[in-house]
Amino acid sequence: MTSLSVVFDEVSKFYGEVLGVNRVSMNIPPGITSLVGPNGSGKTTLMNLMTGLIHADAGTILMRGISPRDPEKLMRITGYATQYDAAPRWATGFSFITTGLLLFGYSRSEAEQQAWKALEQVGLTDAAHRKVAAYSKGMRQRVRLAQAIAHDPEIILLDEPLNGLDPLVRAGTIELFRTWANRGRHVILSSHVLQEVDLISDQVILIANGMIVAEGKIRDVREEIQEHPSQFIVRCDDASRVASLLFDEDHVTEIRLNEDRLGLLVMTRDREHFSRSIGRIATNGHVIDSIIPADENVDALYEYLIGEGK
Amino acid sequence: MDRQRRVKQAWTIARIELRRAFFSRRAFWVYGLALFPAVIFFFYNLSIQIRRSSLQSGSLTTPALIDSIRIGERDEDILARLGKTKRDYRWQSNIRVRDKEEKSGITTHKIDPAYEARYVRLNIMVPTCSSDRTTRIYEFEVYGPDGATNLALHRPVTGSTPCSADEGPEKAVNGSVAGGIKDRWCSHEPRSYLQVDLGEPRPIGSIVIRHASAGGESAEFDTCRFSVQATNDNKIFATVVGATGTRLVEEITWHRNLVYFDGRREVRLSFTDGRLTAKNEKLLVDFEEDRKVFAGVFQFFYLRLAIFFGCLGIFMNLFRGEMLDKTLHFWFLAPARREVLLAGKYGAGLIASSVIFAFGTLACIAVLLSGHSSAEVQQYWQSAGSAHLFWYTAAAVLGCIGYGSVFVAAGLLLRNPIIPAAVLLAWESVNGFLPALLQKLSILYYLQSLCPVPAPVDGDMPALLRLLLAPAAPASKAGAVIGLLAVTAVVLWLAALAIRRIQISYSTEA
Repeated sequence: MTSLSVVFDEVSKFYGEVLGVNRVSMNIPPGITSLVGPNGSGKTTLMNLMTGLIHADAGTILMRGISPRDPEKLMRITGYATQYDAAPRWATGFSFITTGLLLFGYSRSEAEQQAWKALEQVGLTDAAHRKVAAYSKGMRQRVRLAQAIAHDPEIILLDEPLNGLDPLVRAGTIELFRTWANRGRHVILSSHVLQEVDLISDQVILIANGMIVAEGKIRDVREEIQEHPSQFIVRCDDASRVASLLFDEDHVTEIRLNEDRLGLLVMTRDREHFSRSIGRIATNGHVIDSIIPADENVDALYEYLIGEGK
Repeated sequence: MDRQRRVKQAWTIARIELRRAFFSRRAFWVYGLALFPAVIFFFYNLSIQIRRSSLQSGSLTTPALIDSIRIGERDEDILARLGKTKRDYRWQSNIRVRDKEEKSGITTHKIDPAYEARYVRLNIMVPTCSSDRTTRIYEFEVYGPDGATNLALHRPVTGSTPCSADEGPEKAVNGSVAGGIKDRWCSHEPRSYLQVDLGEPRPIGSIVIRHASAGGESAEFDTCRFSVQATNDNKIFATVVGATGTRLVEEITWHRNLVYFDGRREVRLSFTDGRLTAKNEKLLVDFEEDRKVFAGVFQFFYLRLAIFFGCLGIFMNLFRGEMLDKTLHFWFLAPARREVLLAGKYGAGLIASSVIFAFGTLACIAVLLSGHSSAEVQQYWQSAGSAHLFWYTAAAVLGCIGYGSVFVAAGLLLRNPIIPAAVLLAWESVNGFLPALLQKLSILYYLQSLCPVPAPVDGDMPALLRLLLAPAAPASKAGAVIGLLAVTAVVLWLAALAIRRIQISYSTEA
């Protein structure tokens, strides 16, 4: 399992006296993993550490068993779309990707074939022969993505990959992430846009001030946080009556009625008891239309875990 | 297999970087540095060609006739033998010299008929004919018509303020000139005078004045212009000797220069008063001299400045330029060892700089040789030419290898290229002063040892500059090549250590 994971063991990185990340330990299995945190929280530092662009001051990192200090092996299985916006001055979109592929040992014709395929995946074939320097921000984002995936890597690191993409390409890109993840690959991306992470991630790693504050599947993370009540939106015909019944339960800490009197937000300390209580109420003849968890998303987790740090 | 792949990767990187090394804006001033000596030699050759065709029209003669010219020959004889030349320059020089017929520093002035007077006065109008403004009179003598007795001897005398107390007017009537400068009347006043009282009116037949050179001083200080007046009442003076001076005459010397050309030699014949006094022969193009000039240009300009700064521009930019452009991560994210990246980039810089400077060296030699006759060039090739060509080119390439390694390492280690460049330039410049062991840590030490012709150090050069340009004790050629490659290997090893430690953080990396 370890050799198929991305493993951080007590990793610290300082920029002079400024903390980058501090004693980070984590184990990232294949699938889509999102590094989430506010600007400056350490997301890019973690990605740069994974790819050897910066070196850890303490601790060890293994990317599917390979040290980032060995770029010759690591970068063969890794693609990284960085946040750095610049491309070499000489590069067109096509040559940017082809050149990278030549360093992998592909023949020129193979490299060109792969480059076209990658450019096609990000919808950049029309602009392939234009200088990257003349691209728009979104196009530069896409060409970096194409360069990261062109050699069909097992680990794909994407720093804020959806920034600047139009909705159509965005949807296609998310679909692409899912395809790779389904093939057993690592797709590790960073974002501070919580909603998109919520939709696409198998798991999240929440970072604040250079430290991991939570790691795992969103629901598992949520469940681990016992001290914070869970929230459910209950849609029903007689919201006031249902609310009064729920108030009798010990585990319910707060209830807010919707203005339309057809729904309520319930906060509970015990999800299982809550499920049993709702079951009893429904059995007693009250029509419950739906129960939706309101805080099984990273926004809520973030609010709980980091609070004002968000 | 791994090694093969790495070599291929390094070559791929080198090929990509070559474009930048050859065609970036910075590369164009490197071309300028590399081709500068060739351009200078080209214009030098052009000026020689112009001079040659100018000499050939109107000054051409045969080598045998030039060899027949002897010092002391008359100009007209030479012109008759060699024919007229367009370059025939004449001029005269004038110098003021003492009239050969006059006794040194003594002027005698006859007064005829004799004039009777009690007081005789010498008026100095211009003290000397030089820039000196001091009057020097060693003796002022007044004679009667018989010329037998000096009437002024030991008579009362007055005059302008003397230079010092013991150089008063009385010294001009003491009958002596042999006592050195204390035996003269001297005055700094601009229009000084000396007046003798003869005691009673006496007929005056002649005046004798002994000037500076009569007392042993330079003739330059003899009185330039003066007059003598006489009076009985000390009120109304009559001029008995009009304005005159020590007799200097203009001596005129006639000069003539004739220039002839025999196809190789330009001969300048210098005549003085019609006789040949000097014959200066100069080869219009002197192969030996040109070789020395090239040796100097190659060592003092090409190695020390052109290759040095050219490599600074090319190699320092390999990594520093990527950091400034924020594109270095592109290379670090390739599946290649950092050392392979270093090798690829260094290789690109080396190929570019070597091609540029080797071509520059060859172009310079070609231009230099183009100014010489094919016979000379052929002879040169048959003797040392090909060896010289090889070693000069090798020195240029090895210069790129050595300086390139230093600057690529500096580009990895340091932010500001000016500081290491200045330090290295200073280090290379004082190389000649360093102990033998430290000399071996200089690139220039090895490069100079490879140069086939020692650079001339002009004796007229300022001492400090001569010391700075003086080459260190040379190593053998094999030793120089091995030494330079060893220094390069050490520097590249340090660069490899540095590149492994480099981290991407464009705003903060050192």
